Amino acid sequence: MSAEADRPAVAPVATGQPRSGLLDLAIRYGFLALLLGLVLFFSVFAEGFSGPRSAVFIFQSVAITGILALGVTCTLVVGGFDLSIGSVATSAMMLSAYVMVVLEMGAGAAIVACLLMGALIGVVNGLLIVKFKVPDLLATLGMMFLLVGLQRIPTEGRSISTGMTMPSGETANGVFSPFFLAMGRHRFDVVLDNLVPISVVFLIVIGILVWCFLELTRHGRLMYAVGSNERAAALTGTNVNGYKVLAYVISGVLASVGGMLLAARLGRGDIASGTNLLLDAVAAALIGFAVLGAAKPNAFGTAMGALFVGILLQGLTMMNAPYYTQDFIKGAVLVVALVFTFALSARRAGGDG
Amino acid sequence: MNTTRRTALAMVAGLALAGTGTGAAAQDMPAPFDNPSEVRIALVRYLSTGDFFQAYLSGVERQAEALGVDLRVFDSRQDAALQADMVDQAIALGVDGIVIQHGLTESMREAAQRAVDAGIKVVAFDVNVENEAIPQIEQSDFLLGKLALEQAIEDNGDSWDAGYVYVPGIAPLDRRHAAWEEIKAANPGIREVAQMGTLDNPIANSNANQARSVLQANQTISVFFAPYNEFAKGVKIAVDEAGLNQDVSIYSADVSTADIAAMREPDSAWKATVATNPAVVGEVSVRALAIMLAGGDPGAQVIVPPTLITQDFLNENDITNMEDLSAKMPQFAHADVAMTDWMPLPPR
Repeated sequence: MSAEADRPAVAPVATGQPRSGLLDLAIRYGFLALLLGLVLFFSVFAEGFSGPRSAVFIFQSVAITGILALGVTCTLVVGGFDLSIGSVATSAMMLSAYVMVVLEMGAGAAIVACLLMGALIGVVNGLLIVKFKVPDLLATLGMMFLLVGLQRIPTEGRSISTGMTMPSGETANGVFSPFFLAMGRHRFDVVLDNLVPISVVFLIVIGILVWCFLELTRHGRLMYAVGSNERAAALTGTNVNGYKVLAYVISGVLASVGGMLLAARLGRGDIASGTNLLLDAVAAALIGFAVLGAAKPNAFGTAMGALFVGILLQGLTMMNAPYYTQDFIKGAVLVVALVFTFALSARRAGGDG
Repeated sequence: MNTTRRTALAMVAGLALAGTGTGAAAQDMPAPFDNPSEVRIALVRYLSTGDFFQAYLSGVERQAEALGVDLRVFDSRQDAALQADMVDQAIALGVDGIVIQHGLTESMREAAQRAVDAGIKVVAFDVNVENEAIPQIEQSDFLLGKLALEQAIEDNGDSWDAGYVYVPGIAPLDRRHAAWEEIKAANPGIREVAQMGTLDNPIANSNANQARSVLQANQTISVFFAPYNEFAKGVKIAVDEAGLNQDVSIYSADVSTADIAAMREPDSAWKATVATNPAVVGEVSVRALAIMLAGGDPGAQVIVPPTLITQDFLNENDITNMEDLSAKMPQFAHADVAMTDWMPLPPR
């Protein structure tokens, strides 16, 4: 909020000093330039990288973490943090599989159950934080462990798939409904036949919705206000607690959407802690701080951050880089992005003063 | 010998007769099994959570029950120091035999020696305790990889471009990797054009993303060797998404009910997998221990052979889950190792 307010004041100073203007340019567009450079690099050196199909599966590879990252962005906006999103996603995956395979109900029931679960977890997280004053990291950490355990209780730690033997000795005969599976597998014809999978459409639509909500609506602006100065926001009559709970509900619901897409892609309920989903999503949101020199959580940055990681990983895989170099590079990108955000932005702010 | 054959036959047919066979055999068992309820054995575990370990335990329990011995289970839940303490606990309890299931060489070596010194018979599954008095029970990961690759060669000839999924540093994957190296060396026509792999969970999803890139970058790949079922599941998702399921064949290791369904989908790219039944490994562990208790020698290494499971076999026999597979594939339900003519088998 404050960085935003400072910006008009910066402009005259920047025009007076070319070096600072260059810095400003680097902060604003450096990351996007890096992204473009990366695309060019891989297009030249990685065979098969350029083309609509590659573009689509890069989007697809980041769709689920991207959706989770948009959720965590909302909690970052109100000055919070949601560590439970990974386990919310895997719990939604298990829940949807349980509803369809074990309870033998349809896709509608599975989707409603997952969305309700996501919202409920969001409400509980929010209430723990605003009513019981548990610090956000600790509340959502507790929720993460709770969910990792809870999702395994109904099947005694087994993965869920059609034909599985239940703890009672019975066989589960339900199947994933074709409609539900289509969420992970159906493709729309755009330019080429069967090009764009639904998960990518989900990512783009959710990305636009979250961006509009945060940037264009009064509620979104107030959420930023809560995040930047809670007391000031409260004194102007903002329902601080309400907005905080709302942020966790958005986060929980988006995580459960991610979990459903995961279940639809895998076609079964997989035992997984979701830690990697959490870490990748958080990394995308943090990298997003650096995009356009925002130095704050923002939906466009998050989407670009997710895409950046996706392009890097898919490009490296195409060039046959082993898995540990990928973790290394992911870490390096995050560190560089954080330097962009904190050091350079701080220097810019310092230059003003 | 006759009894064994009959028992085996009964089992193969999946008849309840096996139960009566067990009863008959129990009378002929050598000491100390002439009075089996007096025999106490302990299972000391390092790893226990997950489908594999659950199935292993059920095999141990079933074979112990068939012998009629008293089984105690000690579960250290991945605590190496506690596992060593539990061996001492078992010694103090005065058990006759111990099965050590997984663990670390460093922490178990001395504890295992103490048990041997106390006159207790010990066998170890998948952990090397560096002790000549202790037989090693193993599932052969090398054979697991090799059988899958031999099937790949049978289906596709000996000249193809391959994608390979591997994460170094995981012991069973390293042993399966040795089979891949050997097959590549023996067949110069087989080219590994891409290697990928990750254990980020959900493993299938992460590997699907990688395999999608690999398939895009290397359009000549006609065979994917993914020697772990989660890897294979991920590659299959990528192959389906790329619409290449008629052009790429996947060969893997391990099997589960979900894998059987994936292999049986129409036009599935997943052509074959090779697996050892963990329950059978559990049974073999107890049988090897029983042979030692009766004064015999099961050999320094007891290897449980893996079974090749092809898509065609699953389709021809309409197999939908692990139970069907055990029923239709006797070698998957029973391994003929660590057997004697008096050994009773669990009913099936």
